[in-house]
Amino acid sequence: MTTEVLSLAERKRLRKTKIRKHGLANIVTHWFNVFSWFLLLLTGLGILGNPDLKIMPQGYIDFMRNLFGSIGGLVETHKVFGLIWLFVITYNVLLGLRKYFVPFAKKRMLLTHDDIQWLKLYGQKLLGRKVTLPPQDAYNAGQKIYGYIVILGTVLIGTTGLIMTFGYLLPADMRWLLQWSRPIHFGAVGMVVAGLVIHVYMAAFFPEEKSAFFSMFTGEVDALYARLHHKKWYDEKLVEERDYEMRVRLEEIEAKEESMAELRE
Amino acid sequence: MAYEIVQLSRRSFLKLSSASIAAAGLASLNWSSAKAATKDGLTTDKIVPTMCEQCVWRCGVWAKVRDGKIVKLDGNPFHPHSNGKLCARGQSGIMTTYDPDRITTPLIRVGNRGEGKFRRASWTEVLDLVAQKMLDIKNQYGPEAMIFSSTHNLSQPLFENLLYAFGSPNYGTQRSLCFNAMVVAHLTTYGIEEPGRDYSTVKYILYTGRNMLEAISTSESSDLMSAINRGAHVVVLDPRFTKTASKAEWLPIKPGADLAFHLALLNVIVGENLYNKAFVELNAIGFDELAAEVVKYTPEWAASITGISVDTIRRIARDFAAAGPDAMAHPGWRTSNFINSFQTERAITILNALVGNWERLLIDSGGEGGGIALGKPQQPAYPRVTAQRLDGVPWKYPLVPLKLGVFQEIRDNILTSKPYQAHGWFIARQNPVMSLPDRSKTLQAIDKLDFIVTVSIIPNDTEWYADVILPESSYLERYDPLNVVDNRVFLRQPVIDPIGDTHSALWIYKQLGERLGLGDYFQYTDEVDYINQQLAPLGITVDAFAERGCWSPTLTQKTAGERSSCFVPQVLSSEEPVEVPFELKAYKLNTPSGKIEIASETLRESNQPAVPTWIEPPAPSSDKFYLLSGKVGQHTQFATQNNLWLSQVYAENELWLNPKAASARGINNGEIVKVTSDVGSVKIKCKVTEGIREDCVWMTQGFGHQSKGLKTAYGQGAADSDLHMTFTDPVSGGQALSQTFVAVEKA
Amino acid sequence: MANQVRKYGFVIDPKRCIDCRACLVACRAENNVPLDHTRIWVYDQGVQGQFPNLSQQFVPYNCMHCDEPPCVEACPSQATYKRPEDGIVAIDQEACIGCGLCIDACPYHARYLNPTTGKADKCNACIQRTQQGEAPACVATCVGGARMFGDLNDPSSDVFKALREAKTSKRLKAIGSDTGPNIYYINDTVDEQSLAITESIMPAADEFYKKFVIPAVIAAAGATFLGQAVAFAKQLSKGESEFEE
Repeated sequence: MTTEVLSLAERKRLRKTKIRKHGLANIVTHWFNVFSWFLLLLTGLGILGNPDLKIMPQGYIDFMRNLFGSIGGLVETHKVFGLIWLFVITYNVLLGLRKYFVPFAKKRMLLTHDDIQWLKLYGQKLLGRKVTLPPQDAYNAGQKIYGYIVILGTVLIGTTGLIMTFGYLLPADMRWLLQWSRPIHFGAVGMVVAGLVIHVYMAAFFPEEKSAFFSMFTGEVDALYARLHHKKWYDEKLVEERDYEMRVRLEEIEAKEESMAELRE
Repeated sequence: MAYEIVQLSRRSFLKLSSASIAAAGLASLNWSSAKAATKDGLTTDKIVPTMCEQCVWRCGVWAKVRDGKIVKLDGNPFHPHSNGKLCARGQSGIMTTYDPDRITTPLIRVGNRGEGKFRRASWTEVLDLVAQKMLDIKNQYGPEAMIFSSTHNLSQPLFENLLYAFGSPNYGTQRSLCFNAMVVAHLTTYGIEEPGRDYSTVKYILYTGRNMLEAISTSESSDLMSAINRGAHVVVLDPRFTKTASKAEWLPIKPGADLAFHLALLNVIVGENLYNKAFVELNAIGFDELAAEVVKYTPEWAASITGISVDTIRRIARDFAAAGPDAMAHPGWRTSNFINSFQTERAITILNALVGNWERLLIDSGGEGGGIALGKPQQPAYPRVTAQRLDGVPWKYPLVPLKLGVFQEIRDNILTSKPYQAHGWFIARQNPVMSLPDRSKTLQAIDKLDFIVTVSIIPNDTEWYADVILPESSYLERYDPLNVVDNRVFLRQPVIDPIGDTHSALWIYKQLGERLGLGDYFQYTDEVDYINQQLAPLGITVDAFAERGCWSPTLTQKTAGERSSCFVPQVLSSEEPVEVPFELKAYKLNTPSGKIEIASETLRESNQPAVPTWIEPPAPSSDKFYLLSGKVGQHTQFATQNNLWLSQVYAENELWLNPKAASARGINNGEIVKVTSDVGSVKIKCKVTEGIREDCVWMTQGFGHQSKGLKTAYGQGAADSDLHMTFTDPVSGGQALSQTFVAVEKA
Repeated sequence: MANQVRKYGFVIDPKRCIDCRACLVACRAENNVPLDHTRIWVYDQGVQGQFPNLSQQFVPYNCMHCDEPPCVEACPSQATYKRPEDGIVAIDQEACIGCGLCIDACPYHARYLNPTTGKADKCNACIQRTQQGEAPACVATCVGGARMFGDLNDPSSDVFKALREAKTSKRLKAIGSDTGPNIYYINDTVDEQSLAITESIMPAADEFYKKFVIPAVIAAAGATFLGQAVAFAKQLSKGESEFEE
């Protein structure tokens, strides 16, 4: 694969051109998720005060417990936030299931041959070697894998969270379910958080992805970023644009022809 | 549903779904304020001082109330019977009030007797009905055709008003099933019914069948444990290894042989001159006659009868005498076991007289009501009663006091119509279907009566056969007449409003009295007015009881912080032996001679031996057992088995059987066995234990309820009254409860 | 604990227990214990010996309020805690998630799962009463005077005196560990085995959590964090450029 050379003028033009990547629902859901995870993580880490289980220093745990009045207050808050988060996410997924998520999953989430190639080469790139990455769709392979982790994590965290929240309804001989929910809940959060570190760094600090970061506010990326990082998607967008222009032109022509015909009459 | 209330209109169902009201109360009790309980500790809205009625000991209670519900009962530290403690039964009084099976409206039978079908009725309807039925019986057959019976309780004076004003001589109490032998013996020897016991200096205690740690009287059971801890020696004569026996020297005596044991003690104490001569000479008569009689009752003679060794008998006699005035032969309680029980009790009274423990360990507490004279509403004299009593007192049982009676004899006279036919039975707070021996005979007698009305809180067995049930408020919902103990007046007062449409006995008897044209015998407007009339001579009103539940002339001012001072964590009762020097005093007693009557002229005049004499009790054939019964610490007679909390700590009775007897019959521990007497048979779970003689079986009473209205108790265990045969002691009228012999086999 | 002014504990004299079970009912009433469960026990050791030489022991029993309670160690949310002011092991019912680990952890089997609340429950020495200066319900009503309660550090307390004057005294030891139980059985021999005191149990789920999940999560999150930290450092050392693509 040879590297395309873009002229400076072309780059300047592309940098100014904006392409819409995220809808409003997407953006809102994303930031709701961010906000929820943040609160749930803060409160959750405050609950884990047992010396064998705790992640945060005692000072943090004491602070959180004082902030929420008691361990009980913290636990209750965690449960309530968790339920709200789970409800909203589930609601959104169900609402957009047929129109958005199923097509999205089919079209954008499956790993392609290019993705696997990308993964191999990106590792080399991180090691400092100069490589040419295969063109990517709207999301690169790393993002897709993190997507899987998030979906799996959400299902695990939500299920185990529900079990623990409503554990008091379980009969005594089902207590094992509650007991196993705890490590799974914690492990799933750990898995998501491990990925989250990369996700946050890439988005917020990594210079190459700056455009993607801002798109989570504006919904738009600049065309140059799209052209360089998500070539397949960019090409798709170009096709869409061309189709659009063609359609508009055709309409213009038809409109013109009609007016001409009228004149002729 | 087995227990039916039929003919319910929809409205009355909605209004009167009483069980569900009680159940709702219960549910919210269980759910309430668990948080507060662990967080702040401010758990109580108010504390109402009152009095327990889970047995007849009547401990003082402090009832804690939260959100209109009773949440906890504590012992009133001012009450000498509770000293701040309550037993399991007292603690579970809450569940007596919140029993989901409570009767909460008057009920009138609509099905056949024993079918359990009743309809709800208004108080006006039932009171009119009961009064009409009673008047019909009175007009047609005379007032004596109406039997009245009730068990020892605070509203008994009003019950007696009802029956004596009505004009019936037929008054049944539980006493002949319980302590007639003890009471008549003490009347004979000391001129009092029952002495109080003071354990503060006691060093040697001899219990004859008295199971002090299971037949619990809170303060006395506590006193015994303190005495044991101080080093007092305790001897328990009992064929069964009771919990009392487990804390004492246990002598598994042959049933019916207690008298022989005591006579042998007297033989040694008299023969070896170990008695308190000065005291006996000053305070007793008839010693020489005793000395002449007991010569033949040597320990050797007693050993063969009792199964207790000569050495043991001699040692106990000497040690008992050596403890002198600090030795106590306990008077016992339910001592009506054999036809010789009266003689046994007489021997006990004389053992005490010989060591001179009068007014030291055994005291004339004046009985209940002693100490402070209370007033009462004015009332006319009772009408003169000429009819004979159906229980044979005094024409058949001349020595039995009228107010004790011989309850178990009434049935024979109902069945034989002699000396006349009874037609109605008014039963208050009593369960004769369970408590009388030979239940089938009781049911036959009931069957022969035209009209049966009962006063009760729960649908117990007798209610099951009743025509009309008058629901009483539980003891935590009502006032009762005052009680005097040790120079203090105690009040039972409502802790909460009554559940359902229930009333106090004071109200019920007054309402009924007025409808019977006997209003003059019930001259009070309500419960509080009655109590105030009782208090009038003292110059106080019921308000004086609001805070403490008790009043005393020496305790008129409430000291600041008094209540909180009683809440300090329990202090160990004095464990140091108390040494009080013996003081020789002359006592004036209420006997014909004014002295302790070791030999009784009254007995001699009735053709009874004047001093204790051996009477051979009957014994079972080798293939049968003595059927023994007795109490457990978790239940009171026949009344508490349906209590949900007590059911948690004692759910059903078992038949105790010695392993040797069990293996001879191929019976294993926990198996169901069939127990058969001459009058009935029951099936019951067997407990094979070393803790009982080979010739005895034991079961506690109160289980085997027939009433399906008792959802907790029904189907639990078996009833001893199905097996018990009726044997009446000709002297005291006591029912010989251990004289029934049974066969036991694998069911 | 240095700031522990009081150290509440029980002293029990089995010889004085008459097995009347008043304590069981008092506890049920005081603490709303649901039917078929209990916070405290009286163990009837049964009739021992051969007729007529018999003996029988009754052992009042409840939470030992250990110095080092395994239940507190097991509780993930620290709902079960040892009160610093008096050493009582209590449960914050709001914080309890009902996982039941403490129930398995208690070698004395002094806990149960309350079916109405779905949370663990046990003897809390009636904190609500002791705060008001009342003895725990079981102690206050003990007919035989077998149960005593008070400050083991206070020489003027009943328990201190009873312990000082006792002929013998013994604490029941759990198998495999000394948890420092604070019930002293005096004047009588009480056998641990007859009371089925076991070792503290850690269920597989908890073992998996502590031994595998926590190290795995720390390793994974740590690794990614470290990786990103290195990348960030490199980025900073390189300097930022406006036209980075």
